[in-house]
Amino acid sequence: MSTRADTIVRMGDWAVSADPDDCLVTIGLGSCIGLVLVDRIRRVAGLAHVMLPQARPGQAETLAPAARARFGDLAVETLLDAVLEAGGRRIGLEAALVGGAHMFAFGSGQLDVGARNEAAVREGLAHARLPVKAAATGGSRGRTVRVHVGEGRVLVRAAQGADEVIMRGFE
Amino acid sequence: MPTTYTELQLDALRELANIGSGTAGTALSALLGRAVDISVPSVGAMDLQEAVEAVGEPGREVRATLVPIKGDLRGSALLIFPPEDAARLCGMLGVDGDGEEGSSALAEVGNILCASYLTALGQMLGMEIEPCPPETAWDLLGAIVATVLLGQGEADGALLLDSDLVVEGESCGLSFLLLPAGDGSAGLLERLGL
Repeated sequence: MSTRADTIVRMGDWAVSADPDDCLVTIGLGSCIGLVLVDRIRRVAGLAHVMLPQARPGQAETLAPAARARFGDLAVETLLDAVLEAGGRRIGLEAALVGGAHMFAFGSGQLDVGARNEAAVREGLAHARLPVKAAATGGSRGRTVRVHVGEGRVLVRAAQGADEVIMRGFE
Repeated sequence: MPTTYTELQLDALRELANIGSGTAGTALSALLGRAVDISVPSVGAMDLQEAVEAVGEPGREVRATLVPIKGDLRGSALLIFPPEDAARLCGMLGVDGDGEEGSSALAEVGNILCASYLTALGQMLGMEIEPCPPETAWDLLGAIVATVLLGQGEADGALLLDSDLVVEGESCGLSFLLLPAGDGSAGLLERLGL
């Protein structure tokens, strides 16, 4: 086993790394979305932990850059800029989505938060013309995601489940 | 919602949690025919990220019963059981902890404890508080707490009223979390004249 350094991405935060030994991790995604952007050639990756689909009107301007990943409508642009700044190239970028579960039936009068989060992030990705290469979304279980920066590999583990590779990367 | 509360307000909320969990503890004791100890509740207002982590290690797998709350107090009650404690509790009730039967038992325990807790609060405050049907989960703690808070519309911060109930002489305990929605906590304080 390698001696990887885990960088924990907490709720509403985002992180980018160009260190091949780094592992970006988000633990316990329920209705939240883990948005992953990977450039496997340049070995740069980013992970954002999206909480809600949209910022309130007028809120976007007041948010510090560190807080912009909270909202699906701002997260894609924020993470994309950071990945490019860290040396990623737009042409090589691939996206993966994890989370957006529907864990409880309550509040389901409207479409649930998990599905709305996923829709908002997918819309942002489509707008930025970034391809979604892999997704582990929906269902009723919480998930943990690990992004191995060096290999561009994305691993997902659902509650009571085993690790599943959703984006393979270089071996 | 206000993200800062005065000491006086937090003391008052702690006292509410104390009364609520005391009544819930009595109900649990009656259900099991055993003595139940109740911790001094902890009450805190914090941002969402802190709130999720304050409840415990986000990656820990737990069993949980969620009871959404309507009426004069909006929010959620959330019972959190370590899986082995949930199994012991089910054992005391004479049901198999795994599978559908165990989940039903934990849902029913949630029903009974929430009804007691909320009835005590409602009587004291003169509020109509209505628990909704319970739901259960066996999942990652962080995913459960975040999903409940975001699902009830919190975006900025959360108010946590956390009490621990422990069955005496058994290694069996649970956390009772009352999570008033942003407007719910304002209503509570208004009723208290604070």
